[in-house]
Amino acid sequence: MEDQKMAEPKTAKWEPTIVAFLCNWCSYAGADLAGISRIQYPNNVRIIRVACSGQVNPWFILANIQQGIDGVLISGCHPGECHYLTGNYRARRKFALLKSLLQFVGLEEGRIHFTWVSASEGVRFARVIEKVTDIVRSLGPAKKMVKRI
Amino acid sequence: MKDKTIRKKDVSDFLDRLIQSNRVYAPVMENGYFLFKTIKSGSEVNLDYQNAKMSPKDILFPQSEALFRYQLEKRDVEIDVPVQDEPNPVIFGIRPCDVRGIQALNNVFSKNPKDPYFEARRSKTVIVGLGCKETHNGCFCTTVGGGPCTDDGSDLFLIDIGDEYLIRVISDKGEDLLKEEDLMDAEAQKITAAAEVAEKAQEALGPCVEVQGSKDILTRRFNDPVWGAIAEKCIGCGVCTYLCPTCHCFDICDEALYKEGKRIRIWDSCQYPLFTRLASGLNPRDTVEKRIRQRIMHKFAYFPDEQGMLCTGCGRCVIECPVNLDIREALKVLLRTGAAQ
Amino acid sequence: MDALINRIREIARGLLREGKVDVVIGFEEGTIPFHSRPCFVRSPDEADRLIWNNFCGNNLAKYVVKRKERMAIVAKGCDTRALLELIKEKQVMRDQIYIIGVPCQGMIDRVRVEAELRSRPVRTVEVREATFLITGKDFEKELDIKEFLYPSCQECIRKNPVIFDELAGPEVEESVGKTYPDIESFEGLSDEERWQYFSHEMSRCIRCYACRNACPLCYCTECFVDASNPQWIGKSVTESDTALFHIMRAFHLAGRCVECGACERSCPLGIDIRKLNRKLSKDVHVLFNYEAGISLDEVAPLATYRPDDSEAFILEP
Repeated sequence: MEDQKMAEPKTAKWEPTIVAFLCNWCSYAGADLAGISRIQYPNNVRIIRVACSGQVNPWFILANIQQGIDGVLISGCHPGECHYLTGNYRARRKFALLKSLLQFVGLEEGRIHFTWVSASEGVRFARVIEKVTDIVRSLGPAKKMVKRI
Repeated sequence: MKDKTIRKKDVSDFLDRLIQSNRVYAPVMENGYFLFKTIKSGSEVNLDYQNAKMSPKDILFPQSEALFRYQLEKRDVEIDVPVQDEPNPVIFGIRPCDVRGIQALNNVFSKNPKDPYFEARRSKTVIVGLGCKETHNGCFCTTVGGGPCTDDGSDLFLIDIGDEYLIRVISDKGEDLLKEEDLMDAEAQKITAAAEVAEKAQEALGPCVEVQGSKDILTRRFNDPVWGAIAEKCIGCGVCTYLCPTCHCFDICDEALYKEGKRIRIWDSCQYPLFTRLASGLNPRDTVEKRIRQRIMHKFAYFPDEQGMLCTGCGRCVIECPVNLDIREALKVLLRTGAAQ
Repeated sequence: MDALINRIREIARGLLREGKVDVVIGFEEGTIPFHSRPCFVRSPDEADRLIWNNFCGNNLAKYVVKRKERMAIVAKGCDTRALLELIKEKQVMRDQIYIIGVPCQGMIDRVRVEAELRSRPVRTVEVREATFLITGKDFEKELDIKEFLYPSCQECIRKNPVIFDELAGPEVEESVGKTYPDIESFEGLSDEERWQYFSHEMSRCIRCYACRNACPLCYCTECFVDASNPQWIGKSVTESDTALFHIMRAFHLAGRCVECGACERSCPLGIDIRKLNRKLSKDVHVLFNYEAGISLDEVAPLATYRPDDSEAFILEP
């Protein structure tokens, strides 16, 4: 995979900040595998490890939006493979509704993403991060619902 | 100080001139109701209104206000207190009940110790009151010592006498506001006409209950089960406190993000269940009954102790309460012996 | 309407006389026009306080939560749906309430009437067959009832009680089919248009929490707005905090809101609060084939899952 980041000169161009909530058993392990395999992916992402995608409280996402984070990703185990058996099923319902609601009020569709990445999918993880970063970069800095102190 | 008159059709231009060097707040219609807003032109104002949905107390006591801001630099903290440098506020067309509301807030924030944030605004504010020709079915200003055309607390006071307003010039501040204007002195018959309008409006709204002695009666009835019957339908929403011209409870909290933050003062309501919850977890007012009792007694027993009635009879709590908990009715039950509702 | 009122009073009187209930929760005459209000009747002689008219907009299901008495409750269509949800969530036991069902013809929206009258003070209101007559100091206006019903009443498809012990009157004709034309047309607007509308409504909000308190399904002893450790949203009236309050309140009601409209009726500023709740009701219906307040046996959508739930929103790289 081409390392685009190192080839680009340093400029003051804006780069999005993306927060990713990765479930400990699958997605985080997948990200780890990407790292160990030296698979390059954009460094815009800040990873937060959670026990399960079902643990992710919608407030985490909304707090991020408020604080001006440009994009949020939540990633869990594939359905049927959750370490806690049903956590990702719960998450699936919750986030289908949350994503729909946030889009409804006018928040850009590409700001919040959900996906499944398993522990063996290092390459897939890198591709997910690339795709999310591209989408968020094209949307520009977060503006809606951002709270200024 | 001589009374003046101004034709109704000249008011808009007058306001345009005021706007040049003052920040003018006046009633503006939006979404079918009136609110006090900063106006950019006199044509936005509609004085053909009963009263604003929200009292104009937020002009002097904003719903949220930064007390100070801070910035963290390495090991230093830089604190920045906002300075009140707005042009002089003029509240135009405010009703007597709301003016009395401001007087009640004076008694809270301008007595010792003075609240510098409130004072900075209040000391520069000029109040131009507008007498009521008509009252709505929630009004009861005459019950609490006020009236539809009482001018105490205003710097200038307008009374509608047909095509014109009579302007009572009450204070130096009021006179100052008019000094650039070339207004006619009021003729004797117009002054009389205005007095008649005031008297008629006062008589049309008789007091609904005798509140004299409310402090003693309410104190005696503190543990009376009738409070339970009064409070039973209350849902604890806080609309009454937010719309009230005299309610002034507030909360202070910090908001921060990374290296900067601010301490803010925001409106709070004694009707919320957690208002009196202590750090230990104990809550002295843990039922709706106790909170309703507190509100009514604050207004008609505790505050009158030192500082005058804490209710101006504007009627917003009556009109907007989702369950029509009518404070006049509650007073009738409480201040007469016996006869629960 | 009179037959209905008499029947409600008769039932209430009977229940109290026979000692079957300790209190009857219903509506009584308000002190000002456009307001009928909740009342609590505890003796048979007081049963005549109970009334029924087009101003009974409050959702009385609010009052059954955490009440220890045996209650009878005068409940219109939407109130019974809220009661059903509360029973499902075990906030009240079924045998603790005697539901006097009232088929409902809709409630008049006083905020819209106020706007129509440009806030001129009202002296009296008289409800007639299909219209209502308003008089003020120097005006008289007759308005069409159907036109001035609350939006929630105009869109209502369950005017008849879904759960009851006794009906106080004959059932009324229902509109059929769960549809959301208002939501669909709103979804057709662009991101920017939707955001403009939403921000505008939010900028008017004063965070009085009347909507939350009027809602029978908002019964948490500590609401998320009061949480301080961690503090999820600020308490001041900033666009961001206010937007999040409404979004999260709607989200906490996902699959639980019965669209009774108590929230929009209690808002002093007439803000369009229900729109978010309607959107989630539509999503819950489309995605999970569930409607709140209909069946005691169906599990709430966020309390369960199906292996084949929709994955349309999942990102594939």
